[in-house]
Amino acid sequence: MAATSVTEPTARSGVFWTSVTVIYALVVLFPIFWMATMMVKPNEAMFARPTQWLFTPTLEHFTYVLAQGFHWHLLTSFVLCTISTALVVIIGTPAAYAFARFEMRAKDDLFLFILASRMAPPVCLVIPFYLIFAKVGLLDTFLGLTLAYMTFNLSFYIWVLRSFCRDLPKELEEAAALEGWSKLQIFRRVVFPLLRNGIVATAVLCFIFAWNEFLFAFMLGGRGVETLPVSIPKLITSQGVRWGEMAVVGMTALLPVLAVVFVLQRHIVRGLTLGAVKG
Amino acid sequence: MTSVTHAGSPEIATVRKPHSGRTWYPYLLIAPSMLTLVVVSLIPFIYAIYLSFHEAKFGRVKDFIWFENYGALLSDPRFWNSIGTAVTFVAIAVPIEFMLGLAGAMVLNQNVKGRSILIPLLFMPAMMAPIVVGLLWKIMLAGSWGFISFNVFERFGLLQETSIFASPDLALYALIFVDIWQWTPFMMLAFFAGLQALPLAPYRAAAVDGAGPFQIFFHLTLPMMTPLLAVIGLLRFIDAFKVFDTIYILTGGGPGTSTETPSILANKMTFEFWNIGEASALAVLVWIAFFIFCNVFYQVAKKRLNAF
Amino acid sequence: MKSRFLSLAAGLAASAALIPGSLVAPAVHAEDSFYKKAAQPYTGTTIRVLDEITPLQETLAKIVPEFEKETGIKVEYELLNHFEVINKGQADMLSGRGFYDAVMLHNFQLGPMLSAEAILPIDKLVADPKLSNPDLNTADFIQQPYKTAAFTNGKQYSFINWNYNQVYWTRADLIGNEAEKTAFKAKYGYDLAPAKTIEQMRDIAEFFTRKKGEKLAGETLQSDFYGIVLEGIKGGSTFPALWNNFMKNYGGDIIDAKGKPIFDSPENVAALKMWAELWKFAPPGIAEYSLVDVPTVMGNGIAAQSIAWSDFVLGIDKPGVSPLAGKFVYGPVPAKAGREGQRHAEAEPSVTVITEASRNPEATFIFLQWLTDRKQQDKLIEMGKGGVPIRESAWALDAIKSNPNPSLFAAMQSTLEVATAKPKMPKFYELYDALSGVAQEVGLGRISPEDGARKGQAEMLKICEECLL
Repeated sequence: MAATSVTEPTARSGVFWTSVTVIYALVVLFPIFWMATMMVKPNEAMFARPTQWLFTPTLEHFTYVLAQGFHWHLLTSFVLCTISTALVVIIGTPAAYAFARFEMRAKDDLFLFILASRMAPPVCLVIPFYLIFAKVGLLDTFLGLTLAYMTFNLSFYIWVLRSFCRDLPKELEEAAALEGWSKLQIFRRVVFPLLRNGIVATAVLCFIFAWNEFLFAFMLGGRGVETLPVSIPKLITSQGVRWGEMAVVGMTALLPVLAVVFVLQRHIVRGLTLGAVKG
Repeated sequence: MTSVTHAGSPEIATVRKPHSGRTWYPYLLIAPSMLTLVVVSLIPFIYAIYLSFHEAKFGRVKDFIWFENYGALLSDPRFWNSIGTAVTFVAIAVPIEFMLGLAGAMVLNQNVKGRSILIPLLFMPAMMAPIVVGLLWKIMLAGSWGFISFNVFERFGLLQETSIFASPDLALYALIFVDIWQWTPFMMLAFFAGLQALPLAPYRAAAVDGAGPFQIFFHLTLPMMTPLLAVIGLLRFIDAFKVFDTIYILTGGGPGTSTETPSILANKMTFEFWNIGEASALAVLVWIAFFIFCNVFYQVAKKRLNAF
Repeated sequence: MKSRFLSLAAGLAASAALIPGSLVAPAVHAEDSFYKKAAQPYTGTTIRVLDEITPLQETLAKIVPEFEKETGIKVEYELLNHFEVINKGQADMLSGRGFYDAVMLHNFQLGPMLSAEAILPIDKLVADPKLSNPDLNTADFIQQPYKTAAFTNGKQYSFINWNYNQVYWTRADLIGNEAEKTAFKAKYGYDLAPAKTIEQMRDIAEFFTRKKGEKLAGETLQSDFYGIVLEGIKGGSTFPALWNNFMKNYGGDIIDAKGKPIFDSPENVAALKMWAELWKFAPPGIAEYSLVDVPTVMGNGIAAQSIAWSDFVLGIDKPGVSPLAGKFVYGPVPAKAGREGQRHAEAEPSVTVITEASRNPEATFIFLQWLTDRKQQDKLIEMGKGGVPIRESAWALDAIKSNPNPSLFAAMQSTLEVATAKPKMPKFYELYDALSGVAQEVGLGRISPEDGARKGQAEMLKICEECLL
């Protein structure tokens, strides 16, 4: 499969695989497309039976969403997730590297300890968190949520990045060490650039986890720090779900992540397929 | 150097020599992470263990009651039902997500045109908040007013007696379907990133040797990908077991208790019954089960597959 | 203007309406000065109030700044949705954090919250002449919901804030159709009209359940049509509706006066039979319908009748939301034939309580009185062009009397006449979770009504033998 292109001419198979991907995308993305149309669909047509394919678009849902100040939640989410992901990268990268490279006493246990933080259902931990945070005054603060997000993202980051670290060629580091570079220099100038693809890919995934997290943000946040996912249930009112507004918020929430992935993917995709190696 | 080459090669230890002299260095590297995790993860968890040994109804921590919360939980058929539900959920959803994700990553790794547009688009389901995913599939599958319910099931006379989420027999499978829809792109992208990060040299060598596609896949790609596959698979496994938001939105654990996973049950115990002690006991039990499982998985994967 | 008019004695000659609104009646002055005076020691304090978001509260949020202006007490009035208000409000109260000074509680939350001693009794505050408004006129509150929600075992914990209630909901265009009327009379022997009894509701449900391709009111159906739609999801208000609209109307109940479970009574079995029967005429998705889906289904025009929350109805039955707006008609929740004198109906009289951990109980108490004061309540109804009253005098307001939908308010009034708060049961949530499962299983026909009653009783006994506070 991966290697078909190694042996076959790439142009023809390229067209084939592209069409496979496009067809798959069309099927899988249809529900999202449908939700996108709901952004401008008048309420009357929303769930009309039979399905109303054509309608006069309306901007009323956008108006409502803006009036409710959802853009502020968007900003909060963005700042919070950026900071928390950046912290994870700064703290986690050396750890992932260390676990991949060095011998340590009880290394396996330490490595499993990291994963252990992700094992218990968050629903059960949110109340202990709440009670502790209430005592130390971290409820409804940026710092509190940033810390809470570490529980699931730091372990994820270290575990995934470690498997990228393993494939780094050691020879370069050894050469640099022979040149007399300090450890910090080696890490910054040799390891970090080589690891960039892995870091970007893993950080993007962490960002997405943080971006979509609901339970912690809801219980530990509040009026001070209100993220976008937390603002969504407000649209489930006694008038029914404000579906149009929900669609607007849901789709808007997608855009920044989409943009992040779009911009950063060049780090993930190295621009060369395995197949192109031969040609 | 790839994992293939150092699989089973005894001289790795000597290769590592340049760093082995100063043992404090790796500890320094992991210290910030360890410290953070102790603060944000260990302390709340120890507090949960503490709570699990107390009568903690309505948020008030009362008497120390030894294992009573655990006893109550382990003798409750509802707890076992929730475990069974989650096991079914994970056993079906995760392997499918894994296979589809790997296949998708391989396809993407071909000479696909317009990949810079396709990748972000394909990845969209995994970018959405689970809560939105839940609402989205409600729009699709809700009885009578759902888009697919009306345009597919009703038009072709399928499912006349019930609707998907109202049927105790079907609801769980629908939720599994939603999970697959949501998380396959995640696996796909993670695996794709892994494929893209593989070193090219072995492939060049294989091409020179005239190896066939299957040989290359099984002898080069798969072994080199094993560490990432194992990690991503394990993490998804853990996360799938804890699934909450989509089920909460779509069925709330019903009909009956047919889609009640431990997370949904714990949510009930916490936010409805306010039995924090028993909910904490559930957290500890699930944690122990996972800890044992992950340990075994880690040891086996490390020895047999050289995955870690 | 109208609110001022009403603050004069009721029953004034219509000519009094000619008094220009800008002329402030002396009575209003007196009221204003009470809150201002009472609040003097507390000016500058900030109180935090958590309430549920519905159109009613969205309107109220616009009035709250007037309190700040009048008293100098700052109010952070936070609105969250139904489930969040429960989770977050309870977390705050039960942890003793005291972030919120006042939290809105649905009446079913009262049992658990009272047993956790998280609510501040307000008897002392009520007795304090410096804090208590002598003109609050609690006798004007719609009495039964107020008395049953605000008082427990002789202590007062609140006033009354939101009288959520259920009404019977049907389609005037179908019920009034001549051909349907004739056919109905021929089949059932009486005239087709909005159901007054549960039995009539059943007949109407059966009569209007039609398959795709059959005729309905002269038109060929493009898809299946259902006689009734009810809430059937696990959780939500499925079980309370079964309990109050069916079981109690049949003469049954879930606990006796002492709090002992009596779920397997013959009356409850009969009610469960009717419940299961009605599910046969409901859309196939009924077991996943929440209180949000039911109005959506009615608004989409695929069901003939429903029993739904009246404040939800207000959101659906208006132009631009449902194509059928204006074609609906409402009535009291149907009673059991022969027991019309002892009818019951589901309602959720809800209150805003002062939290035990509040650091500003006095200022909060002044605010709570101000909220339920007639002046604010009248304004709330006027601004919301209707709403759900908590005061008897509100029925006479213009916004209600001249509402384009008079049958809805008549139905509301009739429900509120018999509405009571739920008995205060500390284990309400456990009971409720178990019994809504039974309601689903019986509705889906997975177990018989008799077995359902037995199962419910057994599950209740497992949870509590004495279920009252």
